[in-house]
Amino acid sequence: MTQWLAPMESYIALSAVMFFLGVVGVIARRNPLIVLMSIELMFNAANLALVTFAKLWANNAGHIFAFLVVTVAAAEAAIGLAIVVVAFRRAQYVDVDEASVLKG
Amino acid sequence: MIVSAHPLGLEGSYPLLFLIWLLPLAGALLLWAFGPRFKSFAGPIGSTMVGVAFLATLAEWHDATAISGGLAGAHQTLFTWMPGFTFGLLFDRLALIWTLVITGVGFLIHVYSMGYLAGDKAFARFFAYLNFFIFAMLTLVLSDNFGGLLVGWGLVGLASYFLIGFWFFKPTAVAAARKAFVINVVGDIGILFAIVVIVAHVGSISYGDTFLQIGAFSPHDLFIVCLALFIGCAAKSAQVPLHTWLPDAMEGPTPVSALIHAATMVTAGVYLIARCAPLWTASADARELVGVIGAVTAIAGAVLGVAQWDIKRILAYSTMSQIGYMIMAVGVGAFDSGVLHFLTHACFKAQLFLGAGIIIHNLNNEQDVRLMGGLRKTMPFAFIAMLTGVLAICGVPGFSGSFSKDAILTATLAHGHPWLYAIGVLTAGITAYYMFRLLFVVFFGPYRGNVDPSDLGIRHPELAGTAASSGHHPEETDAHHAHAPAWLMSGPVAILIVPTVLIGWIAFGGEGSPWKTFWDPVFPKVSEAGGFVMPELAGTVLVFAVVLVGFALAYLQYAAPKVLARSVPRLRTESVRMPPVLANAYYFDAAIDALFVRPSILLGRFFGSFVDPLVIEGVVHETAHTASWLGHLFRSFQTGLVRVYALSIVLGAACFAIYYVVIGAAR
Amino acid sequence: MIAFWLLSFALIATGVFTITASKPVYSVVGLLGNFVILAILYLTLNAEFLAVIQLVVYSGAILILFLFVIALLSSGVKPFDIGPDRAPRIGVPAFVLALIGLCVIVFSVVRAAVVGAPNAPEGITGQADAFGSVGDFGVALFTKNLLPFEVTALVLMVAVIGVVLLAGDEKPAPPRRKPHARDLEREPIVKPVEKLIR
Repeated sequence: MTQWLAPMESYIALSAVMFFLGVVGVIARRNPLIVLMSIELMFNAANLALVTFAKLWANNAGHIFAFLVVTVAAAEAAIGLAIVVVAFRRAQYVDVDEASVLKG
Repeated sequence: MIVSAHPLGLEGSYPLLFLIWLLPLAGALLLWAFGPRFKSFAGPIGSTMVGVAFLATLAEWHDATAISGGLAGAHQTLFTWMPGFTFGLLFDRLALIWTLVITGVGFLIHVYSMGYLAGDKAFARFFAYLNFFIFAMLTLVLSDNFGGLLVGWGLVGLASYFLIGFWFFKPTAVAAARKAFVINVVGDIGILFAIVVIVAHVGSISYGDTFLQIGAFSPHDLFIVCLALFIGCAAKSAQVPLHTWLPDAMEGPTPVSALIHAATMVTAGVYLIARCAPLWTASADARELVGVIGAVTAIAGAVLGVAQWDIKRILAYSTMSQIGYMIMAVGVGAFDSGVLHFLTHACFKAQLFLGAGIIIHNLNNEQDVRLMGGLRKTMPFAFIAMLTGVLAICGVPGFSGSFSKDAILTATLAHGHPWLYAIGVLTAGITAYYMFRLLFVVFFGPYRGNVDPSDLGIRHPELAGTAASSGHHPEETDAHHAHAPAWLMSGPVAILIVPTVLIGWIAFGGEGSPWKTFWDPVFPKVSEAGGFVMPELAGTVLVFAVVLVGFALAYLQYAAPKVLARSVPRLRTESVRMPPVLANAYYFDAAIDALFVRPSILLGRFFGSFVDPLVIEGVVHETAHTASWLGHLFRSFQTGLVRVYALSIVLGAACFAIYYVVIGAAR
Repeated sequence: MIAFWLLSFALIATGVFTITASKPVYSVVGLLGNFVILAILYLTLNAEFLAVIQLVVYSGAILILFLFVIALLSSGVKPFDIGPDRAPRIGVPAFVLALIGLCVIVFSVVRAAVVGAPNAPEGITGQADAFGSVGDFGVALFTKNLLPFEVTALVLMVAVIGVVLLAGDEKPAPPRRKPHARDLEREPIVKPVEKLIR
């Protein structure tokens, strides 16, 4: 499928769009699971940018880095979900607005 | 022969000067710190300090009178603060005379106080204050520059405040101390102003530099300097119009009145003018002003002395009047006559006050002369003492006062001031009248101590002047009112009889007298046109005649046999018919109250009610308010909501992105 | 080119769907589609190995994890209850800021002269040492980047331990208290699932 290669700027722009979609998702949604999914979206946007630059400069360090990002994202998702489970185990509402103990 | 305008003195190291100057300070500090432990031993300690200082002064006599190569006296440099501001001690003839009086009379009064204040609970504090006063007065007199003079000036004012308000449980004493201090501050400002002008012209505060560069002053500026200095003199020496504090200062114990408000502190003004003789010699306008005010004070004080019933107030007004004489003398340029009168006055006024103190002490703090009478028989020693004092102050020939008073009057006429001469002669007569009035009412006739006060016209016994008010509170003396040996009080008085009578004889002999030759190297001769030189004998006879007239009038009014028989109703009539102008001291107090005190109080109230709460507190309040408001503002960011925190992170990231892109693009 | 446009459109569409879906399960599905499109894009960029990893790890493991947690937290048929909105319309400033950030980055990237033509070899898919292939990736991973690889293993272990510590060993149920009126309107979260598991 390499024949479908587009100019590099397009990939970066795409990555940026995905990233900011993730940002909006984090801020605008109240369900903690959807927040975590938006974070995954951001990770993937970063991965796309890394791979793009790896292609641009023929340096597979970008691939390695993306691989490590995947790993870390997996670990982070696991722990994040564990926290969500624990925090909302006996909560009445599954809503990030309820976790407002830091209010001051 | 004038050696130089005002020589700075022979430079050298004079350890005895330090002894004279600092021993009283050591005494004061010692008694302040450990006074209560010494109890009645504080008296001998204080007296010894001053006594040793007196002996040291005698030892330094020849250094003070030394003349060599254009410089006269002893000079000890202390330290230099800035160029032009060198502090030192100058012990020349003028300082010598003043120091002798301060330490000599001071010593006698210290001994007297040991008897007068025996049993007082604050016995040690009194001697600490007295020693502090001696030190302050010596600072004033021994300084070689205007700065040290001003320091001493302020410190004697402080000592006077301490001592007038010594019995601080008496509200009248506290008020009198405050009044004296505030009026003296006005004088301090005058002197400070003069110092500023002097520094502006000469660049230095020392006497020597100033007097050698009188040419640097324009006549107008010189008059301003003399006027400013004279404001200080008027305040300290109780000249019109800054005299109102002196009669009230009699609230202090009698030894205080004797030492400070008769012999030494109030003569500081005379000292200043004598010290700055070159300034006054160069400004005829200043001399005119000083002479007039001196004469006016002399006669005003004398007239008021006629109207007083408190024995100490009579003496206070007489002090005011006699200092008027001294000021008049130095004002017309007769410096040595003024200083002679200071010397004689110190002796006979101290004598009068100490004698009055004996009477007051023995009559259990009675001060109103209407409640005295006939004390010639019960207190003969006091009578002798007061008699010598009265004869001296009236200027009876042969007694000390006559030499000085005649010298002043003659010099006034010789320097071309006939009106001032006339006022002076008239005042001499009035002085004789009221002093003999005092003598007759106190010592002659029946004893009136048991008469009902209202029969004598005493309307407010609780106010100053009677035993009811000036007595100690019973809790202020030790339980067994320890009576000190009587010689503590009568000894100094007896010793003072000698100079009271005889000290004037050093001026016997006109121009060739020891006194005149003593001052020849120091004071310039002021000669003015229009002077009439009256032969000395004629002058003395004229003054004596006027004094006899005064004596006769007093005798007829107070001591003639048929008067003495009806003394109670006569005194009552006089009390009731006293003209209000005299009873209220020419309304000076009322005028000062209306012109200065009330507006100050109103100004203070304005600041207290408006400026302080609204402006000053408003600033503080608003600062606190703003801090609190900022706190609330920042607190509103802490919503506790994760989403809001995430938004702030995004905001920060956006700012970073913009910054780097835009700045990066700009480079 | 058309292919790329289609792909990018799909990417963005699935992304939007993810963040705006009403139910979490729909979001997971959208995210799945997003990952698949992304894998295709990797392939266009010669990152064969990474494309496969993306599919296996992300869509095959992480999304399943999400589904499990959704099942764990959801109360059977009813959708998740959410409380009152404490920060209403916060999406508006978020959207604006995100738009600004996006425009800034796109603008800078487009303007930058650094982005030029890719100079990686076109590569023959399937050849062992081609750029982006498994062999090439493996050599780089196990020679130059061995330390990060080992550290990543450590990270994963820590994550596992963390998850076990956090979410395992549920504490015994607190003593039965009188149910609050508020509590009665909805069924407890845990019980149906416990029934299922046992």
